[in-house]
Amino acid sequence: MTNKKQIVVILFAAFLIMLCISVSAQSFTSGNVKTSFFSSTPIEDIKASSSKTSAVLISKTGEFAFQVPVKSFEFEKKLMQEHFNENYLESDKYPTAGFKGSIDPNINWTKDGEYNIVAKGTLTVHGVTKPRNIPAKIIIKNGTATITSSFDVACVDHNIEIPTLVFTKIAKVISVKINGTLTQKP
Amino acid sequence: MLKISTLLSFALLLSGNIYAQSADSLLKSMTDTAKIKVLNPTFKSTRIVLSQSTETQKKHDLDMRIRHHFGDIGGEFGSAHTLYGLDVASDLFIGFDYGITDKLTISIGRSKHDELYNGFLKYKLLEQGGGKYGNIPINVTLLAQMGWIAREPFTTTEFPTYANRFTYFLQPIFSRKITQRISLQVAPSVLLRKNTTEAQDPESLISIGFAGRVKLTKRLSFVADYTLVNGINRPIDLVQKFYNPLGVGLEIETGGHVFSLNFMNSEYISENSFIPDTKKSWKHGGVRFGFTISRNFTLFKSKDKDLQSKIY
Repeated sequence: MTNKKQIVVILFAAFLIMLCISVSAQSFTSGNVKTSFFSSTPIEDIKASSSKTSAVLISKTGEFAFQVPVKSFEFEKKLMQEHFNENYLESDKYPTAGFKGSIDPNINWTKDGEYNIVAKGTLTVHGVTKPRNIPAKIIIKNGTATITSSFDVACVDHNIEIPTLVFTKIAKVISVKINGTLTQKP
Repeated sequence: MLKISTLLSFALLLSGNIYAQSADSLLKSMTDTAKIKVLNPTFKSTRIVLSQSTETQKKHDLDMRIRHHFGDIGGEFGSAHTLYGLDVASDLFIGFDYGITDKLTISIGRSKHDELYNGFLKYKLLEQGGGKYGNIPINVTLLAQMGWIAREPFTTTEFPTYANRFTYFLQPIFSRKITQRISLQVAPSVLLRKNTTEAQDPESLISIGFAGRVKLTKRLSFVADYTLVNGINRPIDLVQKFYNPLGVGLEIETGGHVFSLNFMNSEYISENSFIPDTKKSWKHGGVRFGFTISRNFTLFKSKDKDLQSKIY
């Protein structure tokens, strides 16, 4: 074989590999996963939720990511929502919060069942990225993956300042819950 | 052989790259930020110092507002004899603003001066960053306020007809959040009234208000407003000397409350009084201290269990 031919063969092989991966990179996605959070202090309980979270699961690598637009969180009090965006999360500067990582060890996505997994990756809130291991439960049934996860976010880890005046009303650690069903996307 | 391996690894890297992008781009393609409602508060409160801002009440939120203007700090009526005006209440105001929708506010209030009852409707016409393409550059709010003087007449000829007790204030307000810290506002207005001090003093009094905010921290702002009223269609050489109202203040937001600590030359609080009747000047000790306390109440609780907040 001449050198040229070799290159052509290799390029062709690489192309095939690429094609293979993109075809076999089966993913589960959803654009309306629900994210809710809860702040509890002896004085006040505050809840908020957004059903505009996007989540992506790639079965081949176990890659898992979700992202929520900060402005989509709804509160009971609209003024609270305004303060959440303007004073705490600064959503004009940092419009989204989310997680990127992978499920390790990966699970069998073709087999129905319940899997308790840990996703290793990074959590970004308020523009601050922290390495995190997030536990989650995945239920695979008829080609859909239902994911539920709950984890804590410490305000101080993400430079979210709580002024002393409202110290007693807002918890230092916020519990976050993610819940949604992802459908297969070829 | 070396060449082949480098090529192979390059090809793999490339495919890996494309692959990684797909997870990211998938996520990106799904997150549609354009659909999300604008939340761009240009001012913290529905008032600046003396004047109204473009902000309206949120839907179903009730704002209780208590305002106080003390007496002259210096001059004939001030100094240590009145503890720099703190002994005097030149005007007091209590008012309630209610958001029928996020855009429409209805309000009722009462001032000590003239025993003035006032009611207004305020409608947010345009919102900065709103619209179909999110490209509206300014906020536009319309204000229509009616005032009713309830006090006994000082002289028998003061209110020849009952209609003389009513004043009407119309004002379109234009504002823009220039940066996260700086907001500016312009508001031309007309005040329709029957009682004036003399023939040259027009019944339809035109004025133009300028206001601004500089955020010092997330919760503390410097605010100021100035209303140009003398010398537009009211001559400046009237027998009774009038001044243009100027107010400066610090605005502190603490969750549901907004506190303002202000200094202004205007004795009165309602637009229907302070625009035509400011008789004190920043010179000669006519400036006074004043404060505003505003408290927001959410009247209707959400039925969504995931949103229900609880105060113990």
